[in-house]
Amino acid sequence: MSQTIVDNHHTEEHITSTGLSNRKLLMWTFLGSDVMFFGAFIATYLVYRGKSLNGPYPNEILNIPITSISTFVLLMSSFAMVLALHYLNENRRGITQFWIWSVVVLGAIFMGFQVVEFTEFAIHGLTPRTNLFGTTFFILTGLHGGHVTIGIIWLAIMGYAHKKGALRSDNSEDLELAGLYWHFVDIVWIVIFTVIYLVSATDGPPPGIPSITH
Amino acid sequence: MSNLWKILTTHKGNGWWNLPETPQSNTNPKNEGPISISWLKKLWNLLSHGGVDHAGPTFYTIVAVFLAIVTLLELWIYTVKTLGAWLNPLLFLLSALKFIGVVAFFMHLRFDHKYFTIIFTFCMILGISVFISLLLLWSFAGLKP
Repeated sequence: MSQTIVDNHHTEEHITSTGLSNRKLLMWTFLGSDVMFFGAFIATYLVYRGKSLNGPYPNEILNIPITSISTFVLLMSSFAMVLALHYLNENRRGITQFWIWSVVVLGAIFMGFQVVEFTEFAIHGLTPRTNLFGTTFFILTGLHGGHVTIGIIWLAIMGYAHKKGALRSDNSEDLELAGLYWHFVDIVWIVIFTVIYLVSATDGPPPGIPSITH
Repeated sequence: MSNLWKILTTHKGNGWWNLPETPQSNTNPKNEGPISISWLKKLWNLLSHGGVDHAGPTFYTIVAVFLAIVTLLELWIYTVKTLGAWLNPLLFLLSALKFIGVVAFFMHLRFDHKYFTIIFTFCMILGISVFISLLLLWSFAGLKP
């Protein structure tokens, strides 16, 4: 009897009012709210841009070539993610494993770049307490890094679940949701890279203030 | 113990935080797409596999190469000193291209139901409005941070 109930439960198809997956709808709504979350921090960065009264200033400290490499790594992790989902839907286990773990490794490499960058900045005297640039920069990129870290952990769990056979083509939506989150952190970085690194890279001290680095 | 873990955490286990599923066997609805101009729509459909189902690895590779080229282009433009006032608008334009590339194709928004596009676009507009309002407040109201 109980077995019958369990079987029925597993094959029952839930009908939703929109005809769409509620979980996917929830994820898109969450991502929409996260857009506003990051939008507020990016706006704050721009409001305080060029208003630091002491250094280090962006033109003294930002390393564009290195950040470009890490940006490229994150973009390629998105590519790996979309392939992982594609091959999971095709039920090709080996190659799905490869791409899921590729995303995890590429994400970890990106975080490695961020750790090196933060350490380098701290050595050169830029911390969240140093000036307005430091405060807004570390909060924004740190929050993004936090998102990436959560994504890495989530995808590592997905990789493990796939290895154990719990993630299959019939429940590929689990990976799709993780993928949506992962692509989202990628698009946030696309904006951060442009706004903080490329646009602000030549920012020095405000007019009338000499460039004195602590 | 492993059964409890399965019940609580797996998709099919209907863990207490899991929302009801929609049948995965359902085919994706045909996307109406954001473009109404007929010739542009045809071109868009050609580029995005007609908005029917998800694209394949070749198409994703083309998108990835496009994203890599745009990133290189951004870097090159950044080094060009003669662009002056054009530099920032160009960088934002290229950034927007990359953004759309990832959202439309890697996040499957182009191939998915329009409700997802509406939700995300609505939040984007709201987010950008807050963003611009904050900047205008500081620029025109004379507020000092």
